[in-house]
Amino acid sequence: MSNPVSFIFSGLFVILAHGAMLMNIFFNGNYKNTGDLALLAAVVIGLDILFYIIMLFWKQNTYTVDFMLILILNMSTIFQASFGGVHMDKDVIKHIITCIAAIAASRLGFWLVRDYRRIQNRRAYIWAGIGFLMLVILVCCGRRSIWIDLGFITIQPSEFIKPLLVLACATSINEQQHKHKFLSFNIVWENVILFGVVAAVCLFQWWCRDLGSIPTFAAIYASGFLLRICYPKTKFSKKTLIAAISAVVLICGVGIYFAPDYVRARLFVDVWSDTNGDGYQQSQALIGIANGGWFGKGPGFGFLHNVFAHENDIVFATISEEWGLLYALMMTVVLLFICSSPLIFPPRSYFHGTMCAGICAAITVQMALNIFGSCNLIPFTGVTIPFISAGGSSMVTSGLMVGMLIAAQNPVFTKVKKKKKQGNSLLSPLKQRRSA
Amino acid sequence: MDTDKLLLCAISAAALDLCILVLIIASYCEKRSDKKRWRSVSADMEIADANRSFPLSCDEILIGRHASADIRLADLSVSRYHAMLTVADGVWTITDIGSKSGVYVNGSLVRERRLHENDVITLGSKRLLFRKRRDK
Repeated sequence: MSNPVSFIFSGLFVILAHGAMLMNIFFNGNYKNTGDLALLAAVVIGLDILFYIIMLFWKQNTYTVDFMLILILNMSTIFQASFGGVHMDKDVIKHIITCIAAIAASRLGFWLVRDYRRIQNRRAYIWAGIGFLMLVILVCCGRRSIWIDLGFITIQPSEFIKPLLVLACATSINEQQHKHKFLSFNIVWENVILFGVVAAVCLFQWWCRDLGSIPTFAAIYASGFLLRICYPKTKFSKKTLIAAISAVVLICGVGIYFAPDYVRARLFVDVWSDTNGDGYQQSQALIGIANGGWFGKGPGFGFLHNVFAHENDIVFATISEEWGLLYALMMTVVLLFICSSPLIFPPRSYFHGTMCAGICAAITVQMALNIFGSCNLIPFTGVTIPFISAGGSSMVTSGLMVGMLIAAQNPVFTKVKKKKKQGNSLLSPLKQRRSA
Repeated sequence: MDTDKLLLCAISAAALDLCILVLIIASYCEKRSDKKRWRSVSADMEIADANRSFPLSCDEILIGRHASADIRLADLSVSRYHAMLTVADGVWTITDIGSKSGVYVNGSLVRERRLHENDVITLGSKRLLFRKRRDK
């Protein structure tokens, strides 16, 4: 542990923040059964303490993002359990299980990419993983569906493509120097494959009618694409940048022009003229935010829990109504702090830099789509807020991505296991030429 | 809403604010510890020419004439992307990434070479010294 004092204080203040939220429910909230509230408190504080103990066994340079993760996860548990009155039903228990799964996924992500050379040498598995998931979407989901229903659980396979796409972008950046001559053009094949994969993923999303996820995939790819400007020998000119931006604008224009009717209706809907139809969720969300004010109506006293998808699509509005805009904004601040943590601990390799940019882009875009959609500033998409909205697939993939973000702040620098090559490189230049 | 309830809401929100503030302060405290750790990873080395010294703060450091290079040497004899310094297990290695004038370590032309303290690296007409970091 690099700084035991900060570790102890971080853990204590996370418990204090959750304790204050539970006290707020106890005095201000809507609950019929004190047992439910006691159970919620036991789960939240128990999970905090358990996480604190588990982290003692992980040797890291920084634990800030880990504590931010447990802070936001247990905040979401408290929010989800208090919507419409404190209850510990099947959905809340499912949410608690997905929170634990997110923590486990974050540890997995941390272990996977801490030593970037290991994942760099195994990047074929990343491409295979993306291909496999696309095949699963094609076979199991089918047109107009993004879910696989296993009876006891539903899985959204497209969510799992996000961390794999981040890794594909990050591993491809180290391949920029491997250029090949093709029809008088210098081409990096990995870039061509990556572009093809992103285009295919976006087309699949269009086919499944999950258009809300396309901006997230586009943001991951765009962040990886732009970061290549910084990479040596890419010769990324201004002309290329202008051409890329023009292509994006053109694709967006063509996409809107040829979009199906239901998409165009959603793009140009006036929520107040259709409060019982397409504009129902957004108009109710706006009324809810206005009713809540700065400090909310009190946990469990809102109306929005009666609206469809109040726990994921319009979760920002539901929190604003019951807990107040102040709490909803602070929740956003915690997520933004997780995203801005690479500015405090700058990544020390191109791989980790690109990976961090991709993860931050994905989290920020998802958050913006949900919050601005609820507030009627952009079309309503139904994308989840990472860690806050209910949803197992989103929770696990967000946990995995934050684990990767933590790994970028705690990298290991070990020798590459290529003893033969290294031996040759240490020979004199004359011997190297002879051996060649 | 009653004044008491409003006050309780404000206290609850303030506790969350305080927690976020403590975590931000903690991250800055940990940053200081991270710097010390990096010094042990990078063997506390630096690159210096006659006038300046360049800290080695990443595990991949590009040396060249281009504005995007981590160590920029504004000399026409140096290629835009000349050489790359990498570190693993506290050992620094220099690699020629396709320069025109080549990379010389202690006078011998190399494509890839493990660096030792006080090695002299020559890139074009520029001479750099690989040495222990000196505090200003």
